[in-house]
Amino acid sequence: MVADSDDAYLVSRAQEGYLDAFELLVERYAPLAYRVALRMVGDHHDAQDLAQESLVAVWRGIAGFRGESTFSSWLYRIVTRRALNRLTRGRSSDAIDLLADLPDASTGPDDAAVRKETIDAVSAAVAALPLAQRVAVVLHHFEGLSYAEVAVITRSSVPAIRSHLFRARRTLTTALEQWR
Amino acid sequence: MTNADDAVRLACGADVDELLEQVAEGRGSQRDAHQGQCVHCQAAITELSTRWEPVAAATRHAPQPPAELSSLVMQSIGRLVKDVWYTLQLTEHGTISVAARVVAKLARDAARRVPGVRVALGRSTESRLAAIVERATLRHRHPHAAVGVLGRTAVVELALAVEYGPAVHEVALAVRNEVSAELRRNLELDSVVVNVTVDDVSTE
Repeated sequence: MVADSDDAYLVSRAQEGYLDAFELLVERYAPLAYRVALRMVGDHHDAQDLAQESLVAVWRGIAGFRGESTFSSWLYRIVTRRALNRLTRGRSSDAIDLLADLPDASTGPDDAAVRKETIDAVSAAVAALPLAQRVAVVLHHFEGLSYAEVAVITRSSVPAIRSHLFRARRTLTTALEQWR
Repeated sequence: MTNADDAVRLACGADVDELLEQVAEGRGSQRDAHQGQCVHCQAAITELSTRWEPVAAATRHAPQPPAELSSLVMQSIGRLVKDVWYTLQLTEHGTISVAARVVAKLARDAARRVPGVRVALGRSTESRLAAIVERATLRHRHPHAAVGVLGRTAVVELALAVEYGPAVHEVALAVRNEVSAELRRNLELDSVVVNVTVDDVSTE
């Protein structure tokens, strides 16, 4: 019903108390929140909880959102931070660089239906990446964000993101060699 | 980009990570002058394209969220919002009350049916006003009535984004009439006040 350019309009109305406006934002961005959460944590139920928590957190914080980044960038940051918090069991991921070396945490397979075996294999390979590399791969390759956008969302730098991606791609192509 | 001691290089000196980046970014067929002549680079790009294909295929698949996710989010938020309630029936057998945000939603949906309306957002009485009403009605409230009863008068604020073309005041008037009629019909409210603000116009 509304175009992308309406995000700012909806955000400002939501800040004025129009719950309706926020509902439209939720309908538009729930798929993004779920998708990123699923690719980060690898489990459908955890991803649903995480997406729900993140969107409620956005509502709680919307009065203070000043529009210095896009709404979607802000949501990416919230979902990513919460996913990292969950995967590191609450150890702080609020550091300046969200992609500082974090321990690995493997998760279960994706249950997608289309080309399920290949997608499951890729999901498992992504889930096996160290967290910093996983975040970079999910946001850049799966969400289509630029290196610069990923750097802003993760409060990292473009060279650091590129470095994480170099390592991740090497690992993925090696892990997926059998799927050629 | 790769650290010098970490880089894997082809016989021609090309960095494999940079070739893999080229492939992963979908630029495998955009070869520079060197790659156009170099058999090592051409073989590596072909090999890496094959290896990267499963990932590329996976990125084209977007998992869909559960259908109920949006409504679960809004239910959670609904519990955080202090609400005003309208009492539709107040008898010795009990009360029937409806949350003001439900009234706002009915109003919004009615407004969206009016031609020329692109976006309609409904807002019920603000929470600070709810607190005032709550205090004002405290002494007169029926013992069974919900907190913040306003009686059977609804006040709804609507923000509209309208389409470019139709006369704005006519669209706004049509919205006010449609919403007022809908709320009277649906909720049997005695009085309906509809404040319309047109704050955007678009050709989209």
